[in-house]
Parts: sequence; structure tokens; C-alpha cells
Amino acid sequence: MKSLFKSKPRTPVDLVRQTRDLLIFADLGAPDTKESKRDEKMVELSKLMRELKQVLYGDSESEPVAEACAQLTQEFFREDTLRILITCLPKLNLETRKDATQVVANLQRQQVQSKLIACDYLEKNIDLMDILIAGYENTELALHYGAMLRECIRHQIVAKYVLESEHMKKFFDFIQLPNFDIASDAAATFKELLTRHKSTVAEFLSKNYDWFFAEYNSKLLESTNYITRRQAIKLLGDILLDRSNSAVMTRYVSSRDNLRILMNLLRETSKSIQIEAFHVFKLFAANQNKPPDIVSILITNRSKLLRLFADFKPDKEDEQFEADKAQVVKEIAALEPKERP
Amino acid sequence: MACKGREEDSLRKAMSDHYPLDSNCYQILDEIGRGMSAVVYKAVCIPMESSVVAIKAIDLEKSKMDFENVRREAKIMTLLCHPNILRAHCSFTVKSSLWVVMPFMSGGSLQSIIASSYPDGLPEPCIAAVLREILSALSYLHDQGHLHRDIKAGNILLDSNGVVKLADFGVSASVYESSLSCGWAGSSSSMSRMLLTDVTGTPYWMAPEVIHSHTGYGIKADIWSFGITALELAHGRPPLSHLPPSKSMMMKITKKFRFSDHYDKTKASMSKRFSKSFKDMVGLCLDHDPSKRPTAEKLLKHSFFKNCKGPDFLVKNVLHGVPAVEQRFKGAEIHRLGSLSRSSEDDEDDEADGQIVKHRRISGWNFNEEGFELDPVFPADDAAAKQDVIEEEGDGENESGDARGVEGGGGSGAAVTVLQTMLALRDSLDDQRQRVGQIIAFLRGEQQPVGATREEQLMQEIANLRMEVENQRKKRCDLEMEIEFMKMQFSNE
Repeated sequence: MKSLFKSKPRTPVDLVRQTRDLLIFADLGAPDTKESKRDEKMVELSKLMRELKQVLYGDSESEPVAEACAQLTQEFFREDTLRILITCLPKLNLETRKDATQVVANLQRQQVQSKLIACDYLEKNIDLMDILIAGYENTELALHYGAMLRECIRHQIVAKYVLESEHMKKFFDFIQLPNFDIASDAAATFKELLTRHKSTVAEFLSKNYDWFFAEYNSKLLESTNYITRRQAIKLLGDILLDRSNSAVMTRYVSSRDNLRILMNLLRETSKSIQIEAFHVFKLFAANQNKPPDIVSILITNRSKLLRLFADFKPDKEDEQFEADKAQVVKEIAALEPKERP
Repeated sequence: MACKGREEDSLRKAMSDHYPLDSNCYQILDEIGRGMSAVVYKAVCIPMESSVVAIKAIDLEKSKMDFENVRREAKIMTLLCHPNILRAHCSFTVKSSLWVVMPFMSGGSLQSIIASSYPDGLPEPCIAAVLREILSALSYLHDQGHLHRDIKAGNILLDSNGVVKLADFGVSASVYESSLSCGWAGSSSSMSRMLLTDVTGTPYWMAPEVIHSHTGYGIKADIWSFGITALELAHGRPPLSHLPPSKSMMMKITKKFRFSDHYDKTKASMSKRFSKSFKDMVGLCLDHDPSKRPTAEKLLKHSFFKNCKGPDFLVKNVLHGVPAVEQRFKGAEIHRLGSLSRSSEDDEDDEADGQIVKHRRISGWNFNEEGFELDPVFPADDAAAKQDVIEEEGDGENESGDARGVEGGGGSGAAVTVLQTMLALRDSLDDQRQRVGQIIAFLRGEQQPVGATREEQLMQEIANLRMEVENQRKKRCDLEMEIEFMKMQFSNE
């Protein structure tokens, strides 16, 4: 009987079911199974994963078929296939891991009857994010779990969970892991978390302002690592210049500690860091309600700052930058000491 | 592929996990390559029994690449696993540089091997052996959905065992490409042109659709570059390399030229050095229509790759007697510095520069004699195009006249002459435009590479002039006001 069915092309639903069965087998590991039998099953699993990927992405000859994608997605999330796949990933070989990662990434965007069912599934299985984030501590899995994670946080509700979890603190360390591949992957996820969903980010930042910026300043902006500083100052600019974060920005530019850190970054030998630091520094100068201690710091350093800005320009001509600089110079030149209340 | 997985995994573990992520663990021995923002060193990893590695140090401060790209490329290099693809052992940052630690490929790049020992190209069996390995890498890469985008002899490396690996996944300038100037570009190439080649990647190898369209291109662009690389290995330099890179790009997008099925037509004039199957294989890759080019997988089954030789053959027939990679780099550096100082002299002497340009134009067309090249072919139905050419010719009679005078004897028909004339004309226009660009740059006191940014520069220049006019107008206005004011004062007195 079995051989009769074998010749028939498997439906998307079959593919998912068979994948799930094999994943369960791989997970439990059935101790009495022979090595050769086991290998055979793993080969079959690899093939299935490749086929799932082909259904979702198409191949060089054919585009993906919407109907097939919908069926596959529905079957995938009908039961706990995603969970088994994530937990079994360490048992798969490199090529299959890559395929699996692409399959999971694609599924996040698949709509079934104009609903993102992946989102509903993750909402109920949000603890999966804990597994994915912990992946950054495992060299072998970090890039696969990291890529999956970045796709999952496209869903606002998932991003919100990660932002508000204890995991958020760990990112400050992940970003500085010595392994560049992993550190930069973590940095990309961190950036995504703090920029993608505007309202969620604004809410998170205002609720967690104190610890978040204390960490951000001491661990990232004052890091001894060039790459960390360069990425962090760029991201800080992106965050503070976003209209939805204006309340956070106002708070940030009223702190003398923050100003001191930014002025140190302006003095860096790295041009890239200097330029990015300027984009944050200008917010301190442009603030129309500068607290007295900010004013006095700016006045004390006025001549140094003006000298710095005199021949300060990016490699590429940039009108906006010149305009901003002129504005900052004007603001600083016009400062007068404020009476302390 | 899947069944190889487990083996690859263990291989990967053994290879990558033990290399330390600390620059103090490595001792740099020699510089073996240099690009715009990266230097490649030969080094030893002290804690690993001083095993030899190559370290590519990318200056992130100088690199124009944005960070996201660096991350993506690093990730690709970590996750690819194929015997013919150079994988990174590890990567980590050292101050403002990114260090990518890789296996040391003692043979260096095929481009540098050819430049130092095989100026007229490699023998055909060696080419086949190299290309098959590269196709195998490409087939894997394309199957993974990756494009290499920069296939060329400079990115094909050999180790001491004759193992061939495809390198450089665009992290920045070419790895191991030891010579920027020696080789095909010739001593007459000016610094600005060298920069252009380096910055924009490598025009000579680019597929027409890459240059032509902004809408993106597929894996077949790699197949084109692969075909060009085949010619490079066969001749010792890529086709059209006697022209400045910008011109080579222009030629490729001009529809009047057809490069495919050329090989059959010129068979008679062509020396019998290369087999029919080789020419056929290259012809397939250089089809102007990307969809007609075969996939890497299909090409692997081409008759050219039957009975292909293995790595030992390459050790005996290619690597034997070739100087060490570090020596080759030093030689190339000396050459480069030499031509650098020469080209700066040229800049000061316009006439000498002009001479060189003229000379190149003529010697370029002499390449027509050789077959198995990217030469223009004139389809019979191109009469309409010919008409256009003749009309345009009128504007530049002086230039074209003198070019034709030299070409005269070798011309094989009116069409050829007219077209050559037109190209000569365009060539000279190109040079003139470039010189104008240089003058503008010089006047502005800025050292910008002339070439790809020519248009931008001109736009910039227009903007500047406009501002200047505006300023003058304002000044005049002010002066007039002042005169009015003074008049008033005078009349008051």
C-alpha cells in the first residue's frame, strides 16, 4: 500500500504532518532505533524541510502558490509544530537548520483568510521567545534562532513581550559578545525591538527610562569597544529623533550626565562616531527649555565647542548637516548664564 | 546535499570553534593583499600550534559600506559550508577594524598567479579543473539563494594542495587581489581609473543586465561573470580590459554588439588553442539574455567538464614554480607604486596624457585579430544602425579622420570602419569629458575620483555656479543700494 502512495506528490498538509512526525522522532530519539535507521529518518527530514521551503518560496522555475502556502501555514500552526521545530533545531544538520530558519521566517508573513495566524500562535506560545533569545548564548544556534527571533518580533505583541521581559537587559551583553557574527546579529535584533513598533517602543521607554538609559550610557555609549559605541550612538539618534519618542527625548536632553557623555563622543577620533554624536548633541543645544546646569556646561565649554564645529563636516557634503550645525553654533553663541532659581 | 550535512557539521565544528577571538593570539607575518579599506595578512595562530591563517582586516571607519551589509556578509560567510567556498574561521573586532580569520590559501588568487607566471593564460585542462570547482561552489551558492556578484580570477584561490576555493563575499575590496595595476590594466592606466575599478567592483566581469538595469538581477549574472572569468583564465586578462572600465560597461549595454555565437564565426581566424567544447561552454554563459544562460548545475554536465583533472594536476601544472604569494604581493606593490608616480606625472603633462590615450585607442582595436574574445560582431540587419552612425560622424571629422587613417589597412569593410570610427569618437569624447571632470575637480581643490561620479560632479558644478551667480547678484544689489545711499547723502549735503 505504502508504495502506491509514494509516487503521488505530497500535499502541503502531508508535508507538515510528516515533518512533525519525524521531528517528534528526532526529539525523543527512540533509544532502541538503529543508527542506520535513524540516519535514514534524518535524511528524510532534511528532504521534507527542503520541500516545505520550496512550497513557501517557490524555486527557479515556479512562483509559490498562495493556496498551497495557506494550507501549509494552517496545518503548521494547527498543532505545535513550531515548538517542536525550535526545540529540535540543535539536532538538525547545518543545511536543514538554514532551511528551517527560512521556513519559520516565511510563515510569520503568511496570511490565512487575511489573518496572520502565526501571530495568534505566538501569542499563546510566547515562551518560545525565551528559547530563541537564549540562543545568543549558544554559538552553534545563535544565528538561526536570531533570524527566527527577528521575524517573530515583526508582530507587535511579540515585540512588546520581549521588550518588557527580563531578556531586554541581556541584550546589552549580547551586543558585545566577542564573536562578531553573533554580536552584530544581536545588535540588529536590539535595533529592531527599539525602532519597529513606535507606540510600543515609546511606552516601553517612558516606563523603563531610568534603568534603560543608565545601561545604555554606561554599557554601550561608554563601552571600550569601537563598534559598540558606533552602533549605539547611531541607534540613540534614531530613537530620540523619532517623533513618537519626543517625551523621552525631552527627558534625555535635560540631563547633564547625558550631555557629558555626548560631549565625550564628540571628541572621539572616529569621524563616524563624531558625526552621529552631533545628531544627538544638537538636541541638547536646540532644547528651548534648557535646565540651568545644561546651560552652564555649554557656556563653560563654549569656545571649545565652537572651535570644534568650525571645521567639522562629514566627508560627503550634506546641506541638512550644515544647516543643523549653523543652528547649533547660533544657539551656543547666544547663550547667557541663567539665574539659578 | 542533505546527507552530507552531518559530516559538514563536524567539519565545521572542528574548523571554527577553536580559533580564538582575540587579536593577541595571532602573530602577523606578512601583508599579502590590499584593497580600498581592507588589508589581508598572512599570520599564525599561536595557541593553535602556530597554524597559518589569512586575516582580512577591514577598516570599518574607512569602509563606506553600511553596517547592515557588513553584518549580512559576515553571516553568509559563517553559514556557508562547501569544499569550494572559503569560509571564515571566525571574525571579531579589533579597535575600529573587523578581523576575519580565514584559512591561508598559499597559492593565492588565480589572477595573481596568471599575472606573475602565465601572462598569456593557463592551459585548457587547468582551466577546466579550476572552473569545475567554481561551478560546484556556484551551484551550492545559488541553491542557497545567494549571489556571489563578483566572480573573477582575483576571487578564486588555490591552496598548496591544489584545492580551489571561491572567496570574497563582498565584505569589501577583493581578498588576495594582489595587484591593482599590473596585469591587464597596463601601465597607462591612471590612478583615477584604478580607483574606479576598485570602488565599483569590477566592470569587466559585470553582466550587461547588472550595468544596465536598476531593477535587480538574478543568479544568471554570476553565470555571465563566470564566462568572463573563463576568458580571463584563457587569455590572461578579461575581455575589453584594454578599454577603461567605464567604456567596457558602455560597450556591453550597447545592443549593436553581440558577443554570443561569436566564437563559431571567428573560428577560422582563431588560433586552434582552445577546444570547441570550451568555446561552446563560454558562449552559453555569455548569452545576452540571462534566461538563456544555463544554470551552474547544468553547466557542470557540459562536455567541457568531462574527464576533468583533480587538485594534484593543478599542483603540478599551475602551482609548480610560481613564486610565493607574499613575494608576488611585494612585486605587485612595487609595480603599483611605480605606476602611481608615473601617472601623477601624467596629470601635470596634458599632452603626454593625450598621447597615451590615443595609443590605447588604436592598440585596443588591434585585439580584433584574436578570436575567443568579446569583440563586436555586426549582424547583417544592422543597416539602420549604420545610418545613424554615419550621421553622427559628421560632428567629429577631425578625430575620426585620424583614427581611420591608422585603422585603414586592417578594416574589413565599410561597416567596420564606420563603427570603429564612431567608437574612437566616443572614446575621445569620454576622455575629454574625463579631463573636464579632472579640471573641475582640480579647480575645486578636491581629490575626487573621476569617473562614475562625473555626472554628479557636473551637477555639483552647476549648483556651485548657480550659487556663485546668486552671490554676485546679491553683491551687486548691495553695491547698488550703497550707491543709492551715497547719492542720497551727497544730495543732502
